[in-house]
Amino acid sequence: MNSASLSLSRDDRPILIAALFILVILAAGTVYTFARFGSAPLLSPTYLLQQLQIGAFLGVVAAGMMIVILIGQIDLSVPWTLAAAAMMATSIGGPLAIPVGLAIGLLVGLVNGIGVAYLRVPSMIFTLGVNAVMRGLMVAHTGGYAPQTAATDLMRTLASDRTLGIPHALFVWAAVSVLVVVMLQRTALGRYIYAIGNKEAAAYLAGVDTRRVTVICFVICGGAAALAGVLLAGYSTKAYQGMGDAYLLPAIAAVVIGGTNILGGRGRYLGTLIGVVLIVLLNSVLSIMEMPEAGRQVIYGLVIIFMLLVYGRGERVVS
Amino acid sequence: MPSVPPTQQAFLALSGISKRYAGVRALEGVDFACERGKIHAVLGENGAGKSTLIKIIAGVVQPDAGTMRLAGNEVSFASPSAANAAGVVCIFQELSLMPDLSVADNISIASPPRRFGLIDARAQRRRAEALLAEIGCEDVNPLMRARDLPLSRRQIVEIAKALGKKPQLLILDEATSALTSADVEKVYAMLARLKSEGVAILYISHRMHEVEALADRASVFRNGRHIETFDKGMRSTADIVQLMIGRDIATQYPPKPARKAGRPMLALENLSWEGRLDRISLRIGAGQIVGLGGLDGQGQKSLLLALFGVLRGVSGRVMVEDREVRAGSPAAAKAVGIALVPEDRKTEGLMLPMSIADNLAIASLGAISTGPFVDSAKEDAAVKRAIARLQIKIGAPTDPVSTLSGGNQQKVVLAKWLMTDPRIILLNDPTRGIDVGTKQELYRLMRELADQGAAILFYSTDYDELIGCCDRVAIMYDGRIVRELEGSELTETNIIASALNIDATADGGVAHA
Repeated sequence: MNSASLSLSRDDRPILIAALFILVILAAGTVYTFARFGSAPLLSPTYLLQQLQIGAFLGVVAAGMMIVILIGQIDLSVPWTLAAAAMMATSIGGPLAIPVGLAIGLLVGLVNGIGVAYLRVPSMIFTLGVNAVMRGLMVAHTGGYAPQTAATDLMRTLASDRTLGIPHALFVWAAVSVLVVVMLQRTALGRYIYAIGNKEAAAYLAGVDTRRVTVICFVICGGAAALAGVLLAGYSTKAYQGMGDAYLLPAIAAVVIGGTNILGGRGRYLGTLIGVVLIVLLNSVLSIMEMPEAGRQVIYGLVIIFMLLVYGRGERVVS
Repeated sequence: MPSVPPTQQAFLALSGISKRYAGVRALEGVDFACERGKIHAVLGENGAGKSTLIKIIAGVVQPDAGTMRLAGNEVSFASPSAANAAGVVCIFQELSLMPDLSVADNISIASPPRRFGLIDARAQRRRAEALLAEIGCEDVNPLMRARDLPLSRRQIVEIAKALGKKPQLLILDEATSALTSADVEKVYAMLARLKSEGVAILYISHRMHEVEALADRASVFRNGRHIETFDKGMRSTADIVQLMIGRDIATQYPPKPARKAGRPMLALENLSWEGRLDRISLRIGAGQIVGLGGLDGQGQKSLLLALFGVLRGVSGRVMVEDREVRAGSPAAAKAVGIALVPEDRKTEGLMLPMSIADNLAIASLGAISTGPFVDSAKEDAAVKRAIARLQIKIGAPTDPVSTLSGGNQQKVVLAKWLMTDPRIILLNDPTRGIDVGTKQELYRLMRELADQGAAILFYSTDYDELIGCCDRVAIMYDGRIVRELEGSELTETNIIASALNIDATADGGVAHA
């Protein structure tokens, strides 16, 4: 349609703004490196591929987080779901490592889903509790004896190796992305997810099994966190406590920067993808600039707030 | 009796008011005046510009052109609170109560009584009690949460809240649409008192008999223009309807077919639920429209929800075509062919920000999917058929459903269910706040669906509608069905008598309590 190019839909505007901001980050970083070192490493394919490889872990977590945010919930158990999956995978080892890791994530997701959908505990509270429980279980797990923490060869291959110069982690991220896009756009489940996020009561009264959909969404999110954990363990060659801590807020930020409504019901996956790239590049450029950690945090937070201001205030509630 | 308003004594006078929303004309060169001590009805179909008119007067939106004078002085209200300060108070169609605050908190939300700078809870409660007593609803407990009140009582609280602002010009925008008959009487009495005190009252309602009973003068709007203003008794109802829709209407209700003995479609036996439903037995045949009448809050809504699988702990039996069903959820009810058009289309019937097509397809995605995947060709075709069948007036199916008028939104809710080919259709006051033209289309559609073999259970707060549409009406009182009226018994007198659970003569004659 011609009109689409003129008046952007409200879902596309944030995506475009975020994409432009990525270019601004790259330009600013390049100007800095050119002035300082006389080179432009930020624009080299090697650098960009490496950033995308790092982004893959965040990207997989954000994909799952987006599904849960779309139905108007949140999953705060991601950090220790990720860590638990990685730690269990490495301690089991062998060919079962990856299936066991993923199963942990799906199981945690199932528990979250049941708690939110059937026990009717607000997700912000329930998943926070589950996060603490998982953390306690993992501390107990490593406390008694010293389990194996080295990643299996397959995990390393999946996360670190390259084919035709492209990191395998990127393929995993791409596969997850395709699955999510197909699910959101082409399946009945995807429609139900948006419907529930918009008005759960209306979806319920339209005969949608809202509780089942809610459980499925949390299972997907748990599974995604576990997959990220397994990959991350492969990338850093071992699993360790707290490895997931750095992924919760960036994942939520990526989803929101990508234009997904934090209250659910609206948002495109492309936005989440761009949000992830933005966050990874921002972090990287700030560290190239040798910005001290305190400054980085401030800038990072300001950028998120600024982006949301640029997107415009949430529309006024029209009852 | 002069039919042209003498403008020199007008309390509120608008001249040349125009307003556009994104290029769409909502009001065009409107001249309008109303006086103190008069109830002035504003009539028109949905989309005629009534709501915009009200919003401009109440300071919610600003006009693009024109002037507004209040008591002779030119005014322009930048916000509703500015309008309130000038004595212009509006009760809007959409309830504006905070569900988790108490009645007293809600009534005084804009300017709570203070003591040492803090809110004086006791004074606030006394104020709420006094205002509720003014309407004659002393039985509303000011400490209850608004959420826990039935819709009718929430509306009463809304009115009390407006009274608390000491209006000089009071605007009621469909403010009686959710009221029970008993509460309507109280509100009428209150309006009469305000009128005698010299308050100017603007009254918007789709219910003609209310307008006839109340209004001293009426103005008809159509397509954003002020068509005519006339005094009470100068125009017949038929004339007024004609002015509103600007086209001929043959009959208000479609003819009822000669009664036929359809096979039983839905049979309820001793349905009970938590003291709100009391041993309800009812039979509806295929092709029948059965009405649910009675005062509001007598269990009619609970009955519909119980049949649709929303309520827990319902006892008794529900038979669909002679097979017992136990629907534990709307999804299960849908599977046996039951559809429900819920009470509140905006929160229960529609996902407002989503597209018209998404809203239409949501209940029938199972049928238009192959495996987990939605077949978009089938979906487009089904959506097109539904839009054509109900003649829903839309721009594009991808537009948000929130852009439609109330009547068309309700058509979307109904069309969504018709796409599932239901055998049993439950309707919860589907014509509330809908314009006359759309109402008639809905009546025709109901009859058409019944003729095709559906069984329809139709709850309405409008007795006229029950009499005009239904083959039979079951009157509920305190959770029970007290009487079923059929054929010549189906009169307003009988309905009211049964609704109040008082004896009426069997032939439907005298029943004055």
